[in-house]
Amino acid sequence: MLASVQSGQVALSTDKASTAYIEVCDLTVAYGSKVVVKNVSFSVGGNEHLSLLGPSGCGKSTTLRCIAGLETPIGGEIIIDGVPVFSSEKRINVPTEKRNLSMVFQSYAIWPHMTVFENVAYGLRTQRVAQADVKKRVSDVLRMVGMEDYIDRPATDLSGGQQQRVALARAYASRPKAILLDEPLSNLDARLRVHMREEIKQLQHEFHLSTIYVTHDQEEAMAISDRIIVMREGSIEQSGAPLDIYNKPRSRFVADFIGAANIIAGTSQGTSAAGGPMIKSGDALIECAPGSKLAAPDSDGNHLIAVRTVYPEMLRDAPSRPNQWPAKIVRSVLLGDIVSYTVAWAGGELRLHSFPNRLFSEGEEVQIHIPAERAIPVLAE
Amino acid sequence: MSSIAQEGSVRNLRGPNRLDIRAEVWIPLVLMIGALGYPLFLLLTSAFNVGDPEQFPARVYGFDNFVKLSRHLDWIGNTLIVASGGTVLGITIGVSLAWIIHRTTMPGRKWFDLLIAIPYPLGPLVGALAWSQLGAPRDGLINRFFTAVTGIQSPLIDIYTPLGIIFTEAVFEAPVAVLIIGAAMQRMDPALEECSTIFGSGKLRTAWKITLPLMMPAILSAALFMFTSMIGSFAIPTMLGASSRFYVSTNAMYILLQGYPPNYPLAAALGLVLIAMTAVAVWLVQRVLRGRSYAVISGKNYRPRQVNMGWMTWVLFAGALTYVMLSLVLPMGTLLLASFQSSNAINFDFASWTLRNYKYVMFDFPTTQQAIVNSLILGIGTGTLGVVFATFIAIATHRSTSSGRGLLEQVTMLPQAFPRLIFAIGFLWMILTLPIQLYGTLLAVLLAYVVVFLPLAYRGMSGVVVQIDKALEEAARVSGASPMRVLRTVILPLLRPGLVATWALLFMVSVREISASLFLSGPNTQVLGPAIFSFWDSGGMPRVSALAVVQALIILIALTVVRFMAGRGVRV
Repeated sequence: MLASVQSGQVALSTDKASTAYIEVCDLTVAYGSKVVVKNVSFSVGGNEHLSLLGPSGCGKSTTLRCIAGLETPIGGEIIIDGVPVFSSEKRINVPTEKRNLSMVFQSYAIWPHMTVFENVAYGLRTQRVAQADVKKRVSDVLRMVGMEDYIDRPATDLSGGQQQRVALARAYASRPKAILLDEPLSNLDARLRVHMREEIKQLQHEFHLSTIYVTHDQEEAMAISDRIIVMREGSIEQSGAPLDIYNKPRSRFVADFIGAANIIAGTSQGTSAAGGPMIKSGDALIECAPGSKLAAPDSDGNHLIAVRTVYPEMLRDAPSRPNQWPAKIVRSVLLGDIVSYTVAWAGGELRLHSFPNRLFSEGEEVQIHIPAERAIPVLAE
Repeated sequence: MSSIAQEGSVRNLRGPNRLDIRAEVWIPLVLMIGALGYPLFLLLTSAFNVGDPEQFPARVYGFDNFVKLSRHLDWIGNTLIVASGGTVLGITIGVSLAWIIHRTTMPGRKWFDLLIAIPYPLGPLVGALAWSQLGAPRDGLINRFFTAVTGIQSPLIDIYTPLGIIFTEAVFEAPVAVLIIGAAMQRMDPALEECSTIFGSGKLRTAWKITLPLMMPAILSAALFMFTSMIGSFAIPTMLGASSRFYVSTNAMYILLQGYPPNYPLAAALGLVLIAMTAVAVWLVQRVLRGRSYAVISGKNYRPRQVNMGWMTWVLFAGALTYVMLSLVLPMGTLLLASFQSSNAINFDFASWTLRNYKYVMFDFPTTQQAIVNSLILGIGTGTLGVVFATFIAIATHRSTSSGRGLLEQVTMLPQAFPRLIFAIGFLWMILTLPIQLYGTLLAVLLAYVVVFLPLAYRGMSGVVVQIDKALEEAARVSGASPMRVLRTVILPLLRPGLVATWALLFMVSVREISASLFLSGPNTQVLGPAIFSFWDSGGMPRVSALAVVQALIILIALTVVRFMAGRGVRV
């Protein structure tokens, strides 16, 4: 499956041969004897926005830093725009400064001894851009991030959000082939984070270049990228479009990490009339998505399915149908825009989300319905 | 596509766990091991030398020197008494002053913070010289004043005693403790103490149960620094202990080496014992500190919680003022006063005061004039070379991925544990065995200074390098800057305040140094410290005092310049 995604991306980027794309093959990184990235392969199209998503320590930042040349892998190959910049086999390791990339750091890395202008102009000056051009490009890009009024301020006078804008301006000013963002928003407060997310998206539209965005925040990854690669313990767990990953998690890990999901364990019970596998959990017989196959069972012999908390329906009176059971509301918690319910049903307990416009009270008897196409078999490990 | 350079890019490819020693680490490592190891080797062989005492390295070995040494255990005992007593007193002063300055609301804290830092760069030589004129039992100023006021003939104080030596050592080393402990106090999260008070502990219990244990690593490292420096201290015990024939190891070594014939092997054996003592102290402190996490003391600077001590504030104020009087005002005042006299006895008759002594030491007497010039050259040279080496080593140990960078750091810090006088003796023997003629040149003194002060320089520069976020360099590299350009446009500008401060520190300690240059400066390469000492030895208090004031002025100017520059520099 991964191979097909890859070839698809390669095809896409040859269509837009004018811009660069990045290919990573069999990348392996170790610190001492500890392997932190294992045989990771993926590619990014010329105009594609890719997110590397995963919990801390999953190897996503290390992978990004290898692409930038800030870490040295022990094996694999990295190709930027058709030129290998790292290859353990061919013994190639192009130094960072010759890779023609741009990067935004988690700590912003705004040089405190320079003004805003000097920070943004730095990359242009290393490229020996003419002085007049430097001035124009710096003020253009600062205008884009809304920092043109700060152009002569010392960098130490800036707030966190302003430093972030300058870091973005600096990264885009040098017109790189590709831009790497290493958790750029994680030091901002929640409101500013959402705002800056929109700005990054806007910048992506204006500059057509490939972007690799590293984050541990699934919401950020979904909002910003064309494609997400979920990483876990140094390997790729799943790769795909945001909605695909959301709707069809491959494993329990992905289902838990992205969004909120109920993981239901049960024994295999053949195939339903609609063509989906069925499992029995407690007293409930659950029909899964038609055409899907149960994944390998866990150590207890149970097969797992994931049901996103937003997909089960709660009804007061409804005619009986498959995948519908009577249930009782155990707990209801108002979270603001959504209400989180815990209900007791034949299969045990189920968490589900609904909106405040139709409130159910605790203790109320209801019917719950899990649409078969929303019951997704997942890998246990 | 062609913009990506492929040629010459095969590097950095290595597997896990492979020994990987790179030039930026092994070159300084080899240099340091050579510059430290060979002098130590010569000391070691000489200590066991029972053949020709002037043979380096020795040929015939035995334990005779240590047998002889066992008849002079009082030297070692006195050294231990002075060093331990001085450390205890100095740490007490240091902890109290650091607490007063950083943790109370006492008025004038900022001024005291500035004033308290001064006695250390002025140095023990100035301290001993001044206090010998202040606290001498018969004609010391304090006793003369006491007799004049009370009419009592017996002296109030006698500085020419072990206690006097301990007092003077402690007073002039205490600023280091204030600096180390004060820095730790500023890096402690006040929430840790606030939490303790919320759980119902009073001020005292919080101080005892929370603050003190958290400060312990800083207190112990300050104590270790003081102890090793007092074991090797020369000027104070010699100038204050000579009249009562109170010998510690350093001046015993001086006598052994200056005697005729010089007893090199016995001096080397004594030196080895001193090195062993400091090694034991280092080992003990590391043992106590092992397993202590510094995590609560972060790199961040907090505003420490300041306690209003009520009426006690004035007691603290009086305490801080007393320290400034004893360490700065009285000593410098006495030296100034003495430098205006025309005879050894100090008189307060303005009319008889003269500037002749300054004219003599600065212009008329070639030896002292040369000493002033040489000391300035040494200060500038040590500052520059030391800062360059220390910066290079600090960047190598913190930024290189090479194996052996931890070892490089330890080897760089090693001279800290050697009394400088002893290292200088080994260094002298080393340059005598070298084929090139180094003995008696200023270069020999300069090289010795750079080695012995490298720990100080490294400590300063490493502290600054560590604070620079690595991403600042990485961002420059991603922007297309070559390593040299990163160094020039990012690293060096960020290091600038640290470079200036470290340079000035090296300059000051070099100008005031005596232990390392006592044997290394030849007759044609006089420098200030030894010149003041030999002047003192041959009498003539007014002229010595004038020379000491000149030295103090050079140091004070350097101190003022660095304060001024650091105040305007970029803060990282």
